Amino acid sequence: MLKRTFLAGAIMSLGLAVGAVAAEYPTQSITIIVPSKAGGSTDRTARMFTEIAEKNYDGFEFVINNIPGSGGQKGFEAIARAKPDGYTIGLVFTPQLVAHIVSGRAGYTLDSFHVMGNTAQDPAIVVVPKDSAIMNMQDLADAAKADALTVAVNGIGSDDFLAAKSFESKAGVEFNLLPTKGSTEQKAAILGGHVDAAFMNLSQMIKQHAAGDARIIALLTEERDSHLPDMPTAQEQGFDVFMRATRGFVAPAGIDPAIQEQLDTMLAEVMASDEFKDNAMTGSIFLLPMSGPEYLAYLEGLQAETQAVYDQAPW
Amino acid sequence: MFEYLAIVFSLSSLLTIAIGTVAGVAIGGMPGLTATMAVGLLVPFTYTMDPTAGLMLLGGIYCGAMYGGSIPAILLNTPGTPAAVATAIEGYPMSQQGRAGLALKVSVTASYVGGTFSTLILLLFAPLLARQALAFGPAETFLLALMGLAGIISIADENSSLIKALIAGLLGMIIAVIGTDDMSGSLRYTMGMIELIDGIDFMPALIGLFSMIQMLELAGMRQKSIDTSALDKTQKSEPMPRGIAKHIALGSGTGTVIGILPGEGATIAAFISYNFSKRISKMKELFGKGNPEGIAAAEAGNNGCVGGSLVPTLTLGIPGNSVAAALMGAFIIHGMIPGPDLFTEYANRTYPFILSLFVANGVFLIVGLTFAPYLARIALIPPAIMVPVVSAFAVLGSYALNNAVFDVYLMIGFALFGLILKKLGYSLEALILGLILGPIAEGGFTQGMIIGKGSPWIFFESNIAKVMWVIIALLLVPPLISYLKMVRQNAAGVRSS
Repeated sequence: MLKRTFLAGAIMSLGLAVGAVAAEYPTQSITIIVPSKAGGSTDRTARMFTEIAEKNYDGFEFVINNIPGSGGQKGFEAIARAKPDGYTIGLVFTPQLVAHIVSGRAGYTLDSFHVMGNTAQDPAIVVVPKDSAIMNMQDLADAAKADALTVAVNGIGSDDFLAAKSFESKAGVEFNLLPTKGSTEQKAAILGGHVDAAFMNLSQMIKQHAAGDARIIALLTEERDSHLPDMPTAQEQGFDVFMRATRGFVAPAGIDPAIQEQLDTMLAEVMASDEFKDNAMTGSIFLLPMSGPEYLAYLEGLQAETQAVYDQAPW
Repeated sequence: MFEYLAIVFSLSSLLTIAIGTVAGVAIGGMPGLTATMAVGLLVPFTYTMDPTAGLMLLGGIYCGAMYGGSIPAILLNTPGTPAAVATAIEGYPMSQQGRAGLALKVSVTASYVGGTFSTLILLLFAPLLARQALAFGPAETFLLALMGLAGIISIADENSSLIKALIAGLLGMIIAVIGTDDMSGSLRYTMGMIELIDGIDFMPALIGLFSMIQMLELAGMRQKSIDTSALDKTQKSEPMPRGIAKHIALGSGTGTVIGILPGEGATIAAFISYNFSKRISKMKELFGKGNPEGIAAAEAGNNGCVGGSLVPTLTLGIPGNSVAAALMGAFIIHGMIPGPDLFTEYANRTYPFILSLFVANGVFLIVGLTFAPYLARIALIPPAIMVPVVSAFAVLGSYALNNAVFDVYLMIGFALFGLILKKLGYSLEALILGLILGPIAEGGFTQGMIIGKGSPWIFFESNIAKVMWVIIALLLVPPLISYLKMVRQNAAGVRSS
């Protein structure tokens, strides 16, 4: 194998056909860095992809390397640092990816990556305890004006936190923010009625909402969601607050364009397959396919927005 | 219900459960391998399995690992999981006295009873109890952590070095301060190192403080083998001590209740059960010197958490601890979102899963009782073989936690630092308790203060909180009185002499 790599290198250095390298690719398994624990939703997104990609593409084998920690930062940095030889790609999730850049903690920038495309999303929601008097976003704003409401968000700098901050400035209110360690604590706080409201993600509360254990009052996306078609967005209710978590694929910047093209196409094709869509449905993963350029534009926009929030209230 | 039993008692199911349980025992027994890690890693593999079989496998691992942690704790003083630290306090002295066989027997029996009791509660009362558990908020979490920290006192008055145990506990809590402050997002004492952003993981600490130090001490022993009289005694089977049932029952109840509370773990359950058991014991003076009652309570307590932790996980989607959280991932990939649906739409998978936990408990009981006499001999392996093997596992285990070499250095650092503390008479059990419970107490306290909008009254408001304060007082006041008495006697003794 070493010999073959050497040969490939020699051909390339001679400036012969770049296509020859791509034809040789892949000669070994491709590592996918997942910046979260095994079994979580990002991990499951990666494994759904590898299952179908390995089946449909001869010669492609994937190894998943979970590098959890620091809100994804360890994993993001590992992808950025990886050798751009086409044998390491990874998943990223927002808004943490850009939040780390904005807060000055990240050892990478968006330029460290080649953005391959987005796969999944999870809309942000506002949820209240089941016997709360708050029925909609206007009630929430009114109640918050009358008395500081205790609102649970999943840690400082998370998507929930950013959404809550955005709502505060749009509605001209100030919450008594309760940061939690993970959505589990948020769920317990809402179900137990320990807080007045929480900013969370749809997948975390959709079943509890359906069972009547909690009440979702708004989606924080531009349009309604097919999983909960009757739920109005915050925008419909007069508050322009937008937030969603996204999970997409990236590669370290600087991979041979021919190889990168192959990987990008594979991702797009896998995401378009019916089998992938079916598996996502069973696994409660909400798909939002975006091409590389689309997702890059999204990330850049998000970084600018996050920067604005950070400048007002740094964490 | 019969159709569910038929699913569980089919040959393939039984085999799956048995494999999971035995693997779980092995995982729990090895330093650094935890049930959370095992379940987390296997969840993706159950993706392609039949959902029911996959869940049974994971359930078996969970049950087995909870018990498995106690085996090396008793034999080698190297607890495989933090929940087994209390077991080591009593179990290792028993091993040294050649009573390892009995200690193992008590531990497996207590684990079985605790596990089975909590599964029964899960099967019968899950939805009802989950609602009750929701009343338990951050303020009560803080008080529960205080109850756990009261265990430092009970570790202490063995060697009567109360001050040193308290200092060690405090040291643990100070180490736990390192990392991101969850309440403000600011970094505390991370010195610009990305490895420290998540704080100090307690697993490298546990491995360093117990497994590694034990090996260093073994290696440093003048005498190259343990005296063989211990071997003869090990071969003799001792009957179960009288009155042990009370302690097992206490541990089972405590463990189940603490397991049900959202976000609380087996470590607290084991220490609180151990502490309770010491308070009601008629042989208090034997605690710390090899009292099987302590093992019974601690092991029933941590296994009681298994069924307990699944109560809020299955009914509300709020995992009771990190293993339950990983297990929840397995439910979700098969489209079984926790909630009422699990008991209606997916009843044909959920009930067999719960029933399989009874089988898993039975499997480790049989394995544990059968192999206890053989396992007991592990303690007699000469240090020349034991030290390199366990040390290698300690290094591998630390690395495997997060695939990080940093954790290996951390583990070695803790071993060296801990060795000095131990030689100076500071309790390492108190240190690890502070390290694990400090952040839980801190989180509960700050969240409680936020919810109370700055008023500490919230910690006294609910009825649960009031009851908990009474229990904390009961745990703290009697040892304090006896300590003061002892100090006064000593003072009087010094004066008269």
